Amino acid sequence: MVNITINGNRISVPEDTTIMEAAKSMNIHIPNLCYLENVHQFGSCRICVVEVEGAKTLQASCLAKVYEGMVVDTNSPKVRKARRVLYELLLSDHAKNCLSCKRNQSCELQELGKTLGVEETRFNGEHSEYNLDTSVSITRDMSKCVLCRRCVTICNEVQGTGVLNAQNRGFETVIGPAMDLPVGNVNCVFCGQCTVVCPVGALKETDGTKKVWDALGDPNKRCIVQVAPAIRVAIGEEFGFEPGSQVTGKLAQSLKTMGFDDVFDTDFTADLTIMEEGTEFLTRVKAALTGENASLPMITSCSPGWIKYIEHTYPDLLDHLSTCKSPHTMLGALTKTYYAEKISVDPKDMFVVSVMPCTAKKFEVNRNEMKNNGLANVDAVVTTRELAQMILEAGIDFKSLPDREFDNPLGMSTGAADIFGVTGGVMEAALRTVYELVTGRELPFEGLHVTPIVGLERIKEADIKIEDPLPEYKFLDGVVVKIAVTSGLAGAKILMEQIAKGESPYHFIEVMGCPGGCITGGGQPRSKDPDVRMKRLKGIYSEDESKTLRKSHDNPYVTKLYTEFLEHPNSHIAHKLLHTHYTKRGKSNEFVEIKYLLDEVMPMSEQGKKVEIKKKESSQKPAKRIHEDLESVRVLSLQAEVNRLKKELSDSMETIDILKEVMSDLSKKPS
Amino acid sequence: MTAEKIKTIADLEDIRIKYNKDLSKYKYQILVCAGAGCISSNCATVRDAVIDEVNKIGMQEKVKIYETGCMGTCAVGPVMLILPDRVFYTELTEKKAREIIHAHLIRNEIIQEYTFFDESLKKHVPEMDDINFFRKQIRIALRNCGLIEYGSIQAYIANGGYFAAYKALREMSQLDVIGEVKKSGLKGRGGAGFPAGVKWEAGYKQNSEEKYLVCNADEGDPGAFMDRSIIEGDPHTVIEGMIIAGYAIGANMGYIYIRAEYPIAVERMKAALEEARKCGLLGERIFDSDFSFDMEIRIGAGAFVCGEETALMASIEGHRGEPRQKPPFPFQQGLFGKPTIINNIETFANVPPILMNGGEWYAKFGTDVSKGTKVFALAGDVINTGIVEVPIGMPVGDIIFEIGGGVREKKKFKAAQIGGPSGGCVMMENLNVPAEYESLKKIDTIMGSGGLIVMNEDTCMVDTARFFLDFIKDESCGKCVACRVGTKRMLEILERITRGEGEVGDVELLIELGETIKETAMCGLGQTAPNPVLSTIKYFREEYDEHIKNKYCRAGVCSDLFISPCENTCPANVNVPGYMALVASGRFIDAYNLIRQENPFPAICGRICTRPCEKKCRRRTVDEAIAICDLKRFVADYAMQNEKAYTRDIVFPKNGKSIAVIGAGASGLTCAYYLAKIGYDVDVYESNDTAGGVLAYGIPEYRLPKDVLAHEVKLVEQAGVKILLGKEVGRDITFKELKATYDAIYIATGTNLPQKINVPGETLPGVLHGIEFLKLANMHKNIDIGANVMVIGGGNTAIDSARTALRLGAKKVTILYRRTADAMPALEQEVHEAMEEGIEVVELVAPVRFIAGANGRVNKIECVKMRLGDFDASGRRRSVLVEDSNFTLDTDMIIPAVSQYADFPFIGKDEIGVTPWGTLVLQEDMQMTTMEGVFAGGDVVRGPDEVIRAIADGKQAAISIDKYLGGTGRLNKGEAIKVPEHTDEDEIIAHNRFPLEMLNAETRKNSFEEVIKGYHKLNAMAEAMRCLHCERRQ
Repeated sequence: MVNITINGNRISVPEDTTIMEAAKSMNIHIPNLCYLENVHQFGSCRICVVEVEGAKTLQASCLAKVYEGMVVDTNSPKVRKARRVLYELLLSDHAKNCLSCKRNQSCELQELGKTLGVEETRFNGEHSEYNLDTSVSITRDMSKCVLCRRCVTICNEVQGTGVLNAQNRGFETVIGPAMDLPVGNVNCVFCGQCTVVCPVGALKETDGTKKVWDALGDPNKRCIVQVAPAIRVAIGEEFGFEPGSQVTGKLAQSLKTMGFDDVFDTDFTADLTIMEEGTEFLTRVKAALTGENASLPMITSCSPGWIKYIEHTYPDLLDHLSTCKSPHTMLGALTKTYYAEKISVDPKDMFVVSVMPCTAKKFEVNRNEMKNNGLANVDAVVTTRELAQMILEAGIDFKSLPDREFDNPLGMSTGAADIFGVTGGVMEAALRTVYELVTGRELPFEGLHVTPIVGLERIKEADIKIEDPLPEYKFLDGVVVKIAVTSGLAGAKILMEQIAKGESPYHFIEVMGCPGGCITGGGQPRSKDPDVRMKRLKGIYSEDESKTLRKSHDNPYVTKLYTEFLEHPNSHIAHKLLHTHYTKRGKSNEFVEIKYLLDEVMPMSEQGKKVEIKKKESSQKPAKRIHEDLESVRVLSLQAEVNRLKKELSDSMETIDILKEVMSDLSKKPS
Repeated sequence: MTAEKIKTIADLEDIRIKYNKDLSKYKYQILVCAGAGCISSNCATVRDAVIDEVNKIGMQEKVKIYETGCMGTCAVGPVMLILPDRVFYTELTEKKAREIIHAHLIRNEIIQEYTFFDESLKKHVPEMDDINFFRKQIRIALRNCGLIEYGSIQAYIANGGYFAAYKALREMSQLDVIGEVKKSGLKGRGGAGFPAGVKWEAGYKQNSEEKYLVCNADEGDPGAFMDRSIIEGDPHTVIEGMIIAGYAIGANMGYIYIRAEYPIAVERMKAALEEARKCGLLGERIFDSDFSFDMEIRIGAGAFVCGEETALMASIEGHRGEPRQKPPFPFQQGLFGKPTIINNIETFANVPPILMNGGEWYAKFGTDVSKGTKVFALAGDVINTGIVEVPIGMPVGDIIFEIGGGVREKKKFKAAQIGGPSGGCVMMENLNVPAEYESLKKIDTIMGSGGLIVMNEDTCMVDTARFFLDFIKDESCGKCVACRVGTKRMLEILERITRGEGEVGDVELLIELGETIKETAMCGLGQTAPNPVLSTIKYFREEYDEHIKNKYCRAGVCSDLFISPCENTCPANVNVPGYMALVASGRFIDAYNLIRQENPFPAICGRICTRPCEKKCRRRTVDEAIAICDLKRFVADYAMQNEKAYTRDIVFPKNGKSIAVIGAGASGLTCAYYLAKIGYDVDVYESNDTAGGVLAYGIPEYRLPKDVLAHEVKLVEQAGVKILLGKEVGRDITFKELKATYDAIYIATGTNLPQKINVPGETLPGVLHGIEFLKLANMHKNIDIGANVMVIGGGNTAIDSARTALRLGAKKVTILYRRTADAMPALEQEVHEAMEEGIEVVELVAPVRFIAGANGRVNKIECVKMRLGDFDASGRRRSVLVEDSNFTLDTDMIIPAVSQYADFPFIGKDEIGVTPWGTLVLQEDMQMTTMEGVFAGGDVVRGPDEVIRAIADGKQAAISIDKYLGGTGRLNKGEAIKVPEHTDEDEIIAHNRFPLEMLNAETRKNSFEEVIKGYHKLNAMAEAMRCLHCERRQ
């Protein structure tokens, strides 16, 4: 322990504590901007500076560690003045069009200004102007960027994708892909984690709400909506609920109130995914054990960011991916076939909207692979944040809504589907089904939870030994199935390197693109609660546990679907509608032509190009210190006046002279 | 040479002996400098010519020719040194080199005019050891630089190289080495000056399997190239220094981070590394010890910030070159997370000699607190630009004036920027400050890495600050807000100020912003970035204020603020290019009137002005400055002779207010003239019988004829000014009465009393003070002139007195001056003319006593010799008495003319603010004294100064008085005169000034006839056509 004094009060804190953490433990909040607890301690905004006795300069409290006897003042006049000047500087290079910014009133820069009590910036100089860079998933407006670099840390250290980085230097510094390329043209996986951490309006999801409102307003469209598992434990936060609160019923009701004709649940196809993916896995294992060609480990495929990552980074290992589409595109495919037929609506008149915790889903639905019969499986994706905004705009009092069930036949789900929203969930759901299929017994874990793969660690693994299987799975007797689960792409990279080297010990791997899985997806509400992931995770598991049916194969509507339409898992028609294939992209998109850009944005050549800032022309101007105006007009008029007076005078003189002359003439005359 | 491994001291000795034996075979060695500076001035052709010529004369066996690193004299490159004679040839060309070979090697003659020219001594100094530039240096880090073959490890060893490494590795423990370095007091030469030994000890104490040593050769300061010179001239000393340091701290790997802009350095270092490795001096078990060490070059990406150690390490690791917060310090957690010690090139270069000679030896150099020597890169407006190494603590002024040779073109020293863009200014009054870490810190600058940029009077300090900040802004890495946005905003404010868009409050904003950046920036770059601004604000605040309030740049740099440099320099702001154009087109009367808008005395100023404008004339860069002043005189004389041709002044109707002016000198009359023209009733009170003040009584007739003065005074009277001659305030009318009668008063009484020199005998007959003497002469009073006259002083009064004495019949006139003649404040032209007339100047003497002869009249003067000492506040060297050097000279008349002072007996000294020098105090931004309604200007405020400034004051006072009395402050300058547009687009052809007609020295000695006769009309027009018209801008 180290003894320090903060603002005159003594405290003992563990070694290695930063000043900011120490202050926090004394209920002192040190204003900051770039700092992000446990993620980003970078010191670029300098707002958190404090005065440390004996130090030459003010110290960034997010980085400076305490030492024995340290004396800190977090609120001295010098500190306050420095923070204000720094804030003014930040503001001087910010777009400041707050009223029309998506982050209005949820902006950390705004909030900081309020905290610091700054009312003006005295610095008015050049402002960094950049064109909007809009991709299908993510929109970058670098004229709002405050260069906190949280996104850079997320992109490089957490996700390991290395797309966003500081380019150029000094005032010209800008965050973006190398060589000013638009984010849609590089190996960005659209995970959207950068949009979650961005404190301002510089990084955000590309708007999907307009298309949805248009469809809802079109009387000829049948509007169908589905919500992903992770939405229900997070959207409440946007309306004042604690993270993890279950608001599933209100969510379904709100969508109905907004005007959707059918409110389905992606959870339903999550259950279906388990049937398809479980069967696929068993097929691969069987093939492997019988000496046939099979790619193991098999890797889950429901996270589109992860898919794009592997397509860029390991284009030669794509056959390890399960061929299953992600649950929401499965649901889209079924809606426009199975359900369309059922209700006799032309699938062309259907508009399927997915509410997703994910920005990469916006990209996914644009993929050519996600089409059947020439129709996109899903027509629009909105994120949790966007849906919350739509609910707000629709004037729905979310908090007071009554609960409602999802619509059938594509609305019912088991607990196994709920846990798709959290890391380890897909694996656990799959195991619940596969183990029972193979052995005829329930998965031997308490509460059906595969505890080794529950939690937020980067890589989790477990061994499941198959003993005494059913006769048709005799070939699996005694086999130890090795599984691994990871979330966040930095972890995926570790597992993929093993595969690339041929050293992977696993049979089945679950990869989620975002750390923690979909609960903290790139489209989820931004939260400053450091425990938000844990709370949402708990919410997901309690949703699972609250259900009577907790195994996918128990879902009666799934069974019905197979009976009525799909025949059996991995059937021909299932393959056609529910499975897909992948595209080799390469690190710099060297294997593909397609650039995923929205058609309404500007032509590509202009994308990401910096706007030339016109410098003031100063050379043409005359010297500042010019000689005083000569007032020619005034001078000339004065001169005219002088001349007139002179003339008058000489006139009078003349008159006098004449008078004199007359007088003398008169006087000379003899009387 | 085959690459045999060097393992023992005997191996080293063998190489040394063999190399030296080899050399002794040659009769001559010719060392051609191949430093970066000489390479760019094409030393390769010189080298080839030397080789070719030596071959031609068949002496190739007797002459060893080789390239060396930088010799230091970069301004006069290419250079070469011929041994054993140690003759130093400069500014070589192929042709000169061939001539030298013939002369020197065959005829054994030195071609003097190709050897080093000492500007201050005004002569060639052929031998290296006699040249001040080299003589005053002590070269430790640079010991081999320029003196050995940079590419030969044998040459390095022959000069004692690698013996220190052997000693360290084989005979000393790690702690011994560290102890020796600590004892030496060597501080890191990269900038911060952290003691090297202490740093090494910290590195040594770190418990880690892996440690690294890094050499910082990312020298980025503009104008600094010390490290570059060392690498290029003596790469092995860096390697040896690093081997020793690596051994001391326990690192087996060293990185040398060289900036990519130094390709020659990279190439030479690479070659040296290979050679060292071949010889076994790098690699496994060096000198058969247990110590293994190797080095790699890392090429920097050209970012200034990579000189910051954490950014440098990031760059070596392959990351974006950005600094990070310290602690942890590199010695704890550095390169690849391992303990790392970083020093710069110069630091390592000092290590081998320290180990060889011992720490105590090194500590003998320098001061009590800072030991050893420091290399500086002299740049800017100094004569000898280049690389020098001096003991720490040498006064900055000595480096600039002794070694650097002083400021180029006899311009005035203004300041020196030391420590690079993050450093600060050394001012004129700080020239005696020792170049030492601690002392420099006290005056708010830093030693830095050794950049020393000299700036002369033509430097605008606001623009200088802008320049450095522009550099820093571009070099900011962009990581933290303070530096990224802060420096940009500071730069923008400075740019506004230099464009004339500065606002009151900008300086305060700059200070606030600068201090915040210093306090909050993450790394050293940001923390020091505002220094040039804060430092210039501190020392040159008035220049900032002039830019902001008056839109005036005194140095004539910020071109948005003026018409042309000449106009800008003229205290009265006469539109020079305007009248040049008018003269060139033959419109002389218009030209005259254009001048009279700003200065009512063109004929007078045309004769006696000190011509500050001509010093700034850009034509100087082509050939000679335009004869601005002579042309003014020409148009004035022309107007005088054709009086009816020019328009009379327009006078505004009377406004009913009246002004009293005290003193009818240049300042008083100017003020009166402008006030009268805008309608005031102006009465000028003059105690003498003639108007003109010093113009009438102080300036001899041979310079300013009486009729010229009378004519221009008459024009002032024509504008309505009443001059009351023989009316002395205090005698004929009281000041109180004046105050009661007039709405405002302008005091321009000048400095009319001679300063006593306070030596015994000053009151003896035959002693007459300068201004009294000149006054009597001007009044044609009878003066008992001596035959052997001594004049004491160096100003214009002294010169005028001397020349007048000569004309009055003195047989011999001598001027005694306490400094050197080139430091005389008198006009150079006047001194020159005086000497032409036979007047002798004795330098460096001061009078002690005037001694009377038998008749009671002075007949001897006792003097003492003086020498030049340290620098005074004006940047000149003080003259210091030489003890026991008294001597006497015969004389029969002494004219002391050292200075004058002001007196105004009509006001009580306690009624009005007076400076310690007896001049009047003015309120800020106006010409008003501390007494309400009483204004003042000219010498009574400034002390003895130039006429043109007195005129400018008079004009300014007229504006202030008008404003004070409720007017607009706008002067009536008559009708606008349209200046013809300059259409001549011809290329500029060099042509010196058109000469003036002048009396010859013999004739003028005996007469008061005007010496200069002026221009012929055609020559005048031609001269005016030489004007480059700087006022034209795109």
